[in-house]
Amino acid sequence: MRLKRLFLLDMRFQAKYGFYFLYAILTAIYTIVLFALPEHWRGKAAAILIFSDPASMGLFFMGAIVLLEKSQHTPCVLAVSPVRAAEYVIAKVGSLSVVSLAVAAALALAAGVDDLPMVLSGTLLSSVIFTLFGIMIAAQIGSLNQFILWTVPVEAACFVPAVLHLFKVTPAWCGYYPVNVCMDMVSGHYPSAAGFFLAAAMTALLFVRSRFCVLQMWERMGGVKL
Amino acid sequence: MEEESMITVENLSFSYTKTPFISGMSFSVSKGEIFGFLGPSGAGKSTLQKILMGMLRTYQGSCLVNGTECKNRTKHFYEEIGVDFEFSTMYEKLTAKENLRFFSSLYEKKPHSADELLKMVGLERDADKRVADYSKGMKSRLNFIKALLHDPLLLCLDEPTSGLDPTNSRVMKNVILEEKARGKTILLTTHNMQDAAELCDREAFIVNGKICALDSPHHLIMSKGAAAVTYTWLENGEQSASCPLGQVSSDERLKSLIAENRLRSIHSSEPTLNDIFMDITGRTLL
Repeated sequence: MRLKRLFLLDMRFQAKYGFYFLYAILTAIYTIVLFALPEHWRGKAAAILIFSDPASMGLFFMGAIVLLEKSQHTPCVLAVSPVRAAEYVIAKVGSLSVVSLAVAAALALAAGVDDLPMVLSGTLLSSVIFTLFGIMIAAQIGSLNQFILWTVPVEAACFVPAVLHLFKVTPAWCGYYPVNVCMDMVSGHYPSAAGFFLAAAMTALLFVRSRFCVLQMWERMGGVKL
Repeated sequence: MEEESMITVENLSFSYTKTPFISGMSFSVSKGEIFGFLGPSGAGKSTLQKILMGMLRTYQGSCLVNGTECKNRTKHFYEEIGVDFEFSTMYEKLTAKENLRFFSSLYEKKPHSADELLKMVGLERDADKRVADYSKGMKSRLNFIKALLHDPLLLCLDEPTSGLDPTNSRVMKNVILEEKARGKTILLTTHNMQDAAELCDREAFIVNGKICALDSPHHLIMSKGAAAVTYTWLENGEQSASCPLGQVSSDERLKSLIAENRLRSIHSSEPTLNDIFMDITGRTLL
């Protein structure tokens, strides 16, 4: 029940700050771009668009969301409430995944992809991974500049290999790299069992780490200044 | 019979580095007591409070809050703790009522009515206004009632009357006293000495991670024994003199001025808690 409350609050928070409005406009623009492209390009273009925006939006938006929360001191209250760090993380991941899936579904349908469930599964897995990265970074920093600086290595380590993998310019063993597994799924291909296992294991590790980062953030922020 | 304790701290020590930050601290707070912390910045008050709230768990000694050793607390521990922060801790784009509804939903206990709490601090007409549009005083009052929402047994109040006009300050102090009358234990910090003296049953002076003095405000003030009576009279212009309160009956001049109705003014002047604090610790509170 508490998880549901946190999830709904996060969705309301995102709506109040115009995230949904922004993504409605972006989705419309992306759809127009997709329709403007030759039909045989649309599949790969949609995969890049989905992977680089709705699937990875958590990495960027988590900075804004957590910094806004920090500026309003709400983590202080959560730190001294029955809310568990895991619930906080799951609510954030879940709420952003909803937007990711909605936008990805619209783009995938516009591009006419063959395997929508696989695209959405890949989007979900990517969204969870990127949002967890976003939480880990946002929980440790105090300004937007710091956040941008810290996301650069994550972007470099995630986007470049994934795009290269999409165009098959990487060796075969790179197919096991978790973000490449995500890109495979987003582009409508079934991942290998080993690749999927590695991606799932990485997600679990990121979840444990992000929960720890939230606990550290609460410890720093929580409590009254007597 | 010994009063039941809400907080029992025994031989508490804590350090961030190799140097002890809090050392050998012992005190207890009874249920239904208003207990104040006073001390300059960096004295260890925040650290102590974080330990009491179960947020720093690498301490030595014992720290029992509501029967739970703080280092072993679970999240259920917070069902009985309400914290009023000095700064606003609300979602600014939500209304007051939406904020209260959300925060109360985090607890298992049946919450107080948000409408009644808002009415209690005079915010009923602003219940549907976004918190971003609230004044500092309104945010302070809203923050305060948020701490009461889940009817906790222990309240931590940080400068609850800060930024309030005298009328609202009075309202808040009355609510604090009502909560005490309902058996709630209250940890209070304030730099407003008048509030501390009026509200606190006992005050602890904390300096350098140690409790330098712990007693009721009245006893702390009286312990200095420096209360004096100052009086003025006309004699070749206005004259004034002082004598210790305990020696009034042996001040012949005062006695004769009273007998002749020649006093122009007379007042007693007790030291303030700040005077006592400076006297005991050699430091100011701010």
